[in-house]
Amino acid sequence: MTTTTISSTTEIRDWLRERVAFYLERPIEEIDSAARLVEYGLDSLYALTLCGDIEDEFDITVPPTLAWDFPSVNAIAEQLHDQISEQRLADR
Amino acid sequence: MTAIDGHTADRAEEALPTGYLDTAHPLETRFGDPDDPDNPVGFAAFLRADERGELLPAGRSLLDTYQLGAEFVPAAHGGRLRQADELAQTLRPVFRRDAALGLGHGAIKLIASATVWSTASTDHQRWLAQVLLRGGQAAGAYTELASGHDLTRSTVRATRDGTQYRLTGSKEVINNVNRADSVTLLARTGDGSGSRDHSLLLLDMSTVRRDRLRFLPRFRTAGLRAVHLGGVEFLDCPVPASAVVGELGGALETVLRAFQVTKATLTAATVGCFDTQLRMVTRFALERRLYHRSVAELPHVRSVLANAYADLLISDCLSSTVCRALHVLPGQTAVYAPATKYLVPLLIQESVDQLATVLGARSFLREGPYGIFQKHLRDLPVASLAHSGATVCQATVIPQLPRLARRSWLSGQQPAPASLFRLGAPLPELDFRRLEIAAGAEDSLLAVLPDAAAELRADPELGPLSARLVTELAALKASCTALAPRNRTPLAEPIGFELAERYSILLAASACLGVWRHNQDHPNPFLRDTAWLALALRRLTARLGLPVPPGSATAEQRVFTELVTRERENRSFDLAGRLLA
Repeated sequence: MTTTTISSTTEIRDWLRERVAFYLERPIEEIDSAARLVEYGLDSLYALTLCGDIEDEFDITVPPTLAWDFPSVNAIAEQLHDQISEQRLADR
Repeated sequence: MTAIDGHTADRAEEALPTGYLDTAHPLETRFGDPDDPDNPVGFAAFLRADERGELLPAGRSLLDTYQLGAEFVPAAHGGRLRQADELAQTLRPVFRRDAALGLGHGAIKLIASATVWSTASTDHQRWLAQVLLRGGQAAGAYTELASGHDLTRSTVRATRDGTQYRLTGSKEVINNVNRADSVTLLARTGDGSGSRDHSLLLLDMSTVRRDRLRFLPRFRTAGLRAVHLGGVEFLDCPVPASAVVGELGGALETVLRAFQVTKATLTAATVGCFDTQLRMVTRFALERRLYHRSVAELPHVRSVLANAYADLLISDCLSSTVCRALHVLPGQTAVYAPATKYLVPLLIQESVDQLATVLGARSFLREGPYGIFQKHLRDLPVASLAHSGATVCQATVIPQLPRLARRSWLSGQQPAPASLFRLGAPLPELDFRRLEIAAGAEDSLLAVLPDAAAELRADPELGPLSARLVTELAALKASCTALAPRNRTPLAEPIGFELAERYSILLAASACLGVWRHNQDHPNPFLRDTAWLALALRRLTARLGLPVPPGSATAEQRVFTELVTRERENRSFDLAGRLLA
């Protein structure tokens, strides 16, 4: 997603849910955005992989431990939205 | 970002320092002739100590006199640790003789301290440096038997109580724990099952209350019989809150960083064991006569020996390159280190099994001039398990592959700089903090393969070999990109593990090509020649299960000749080819 518009938190959240559903091989409807990823069985190494996906999708750099420190879809989405907004402002 | 900075690339153009290769390593000299039955630190003495199940006292005091502990302390803290590949070279004379001594009185200190060097906690670093510099013992209490290397399941708990933590639970199969002056402990400080629920504590064992801990009985092992594997149970044991090293909840991150250094360095050090085994069998083949000729004249035996030598060179190319990558490519070693620690022990193991068939009955005799062969044979699998076994390493590699496949492989990735491959050339000091815990989107070591293949297209032998490996890389890229999500985890089906293996083999091929390419000014013509490289690439192609393009018989012959020359000149078989004692 390399468009110039800032993705809304909802858009980011939906994309993240889709990724989590992909890794779990479960329907997206079953992914609760508030649940801790580790409770779905997404362990520490998975979380690192998810950070790689985030970097590729949003064309940003995030610490590999992002999903350790923000352990749910909601938490990651909010953090990402803030980071992307700041970055876009800085780029202007 | 791949290379660290411009001046490194410039420095790589400088002449290689090679004069030292005609002298033995100072540690090698101190140990002296290992074959001398009267040498108190020779093979015979180590074999007897192994039978007794104890580390050879004379070997321990030799390492203490040499102040080996300083080798594990970064120069910034007054030690001699600057370069990981140099550290491996220092450990090889020890591993050549006894892996139990090398690990139990040596590398175990790196495992115990690397985590501390990987934090920003200078007070703890200064204290641990003092312990190691005065020859103290350090133990790394990370694993528990029930959870193995799955550190997030560790149960030893540190509970905050005012200005203290109280420790409960036990750690098993810990080297030297009952004799340690310092213990680096991984303990649970949070209640969750996440990646921020564990912390590292550095325990000063001279102040820990002995009535609140209990050392567990020794675990006996099939190999490395001399190492002292024990355990410790904490009985509501109070330690000061200041024992926490680095960030609270930061243990997993620190371990993922630190163990890249230990994996690469230990793997490179074990090439010393392989050297001794290959030397024993080469000597046996040259001396023993069958059917009115020496065993070495039998074509099958020559082939086994030449191929084993190629395996040794592959092992050194990959492990030494990855040691140097810790300095040059610290953002990529999160995948290189486990790939190396997975592949090299496997390669050595299979090669040594072949060598055993040449040695025949002598491969299992526990005494006599070839007794050291069976000891190394038993020791290596145990040493390879130290702090992370093959399966854990593969499981670490697997989830990183799809992104590398998509973003880097055969996608215009710049190959690694020459400085990565320059044998013995100085590098900026090892900086544990710069190591990334996950490989990003770059894989510049693997990018050497397609780059070199393009350059070698016209070579009648290397051209088809490297082209075949590039085709395999393209297939690997397709497989990794299409890898089902469930197979990208430690719970992966065999396909995930197979891809990790194929990746490691291609990485080894890249390392061989890089070492060959960037040492064309090496004083030893054998290293500049294509023979060893051709044989190494053929070995790796066969290991991939691919048909090996027909090659010249002279490559094998030239590798065999070098093997015999080095045995006669008493030089190490590794890339360095340094004089031995």
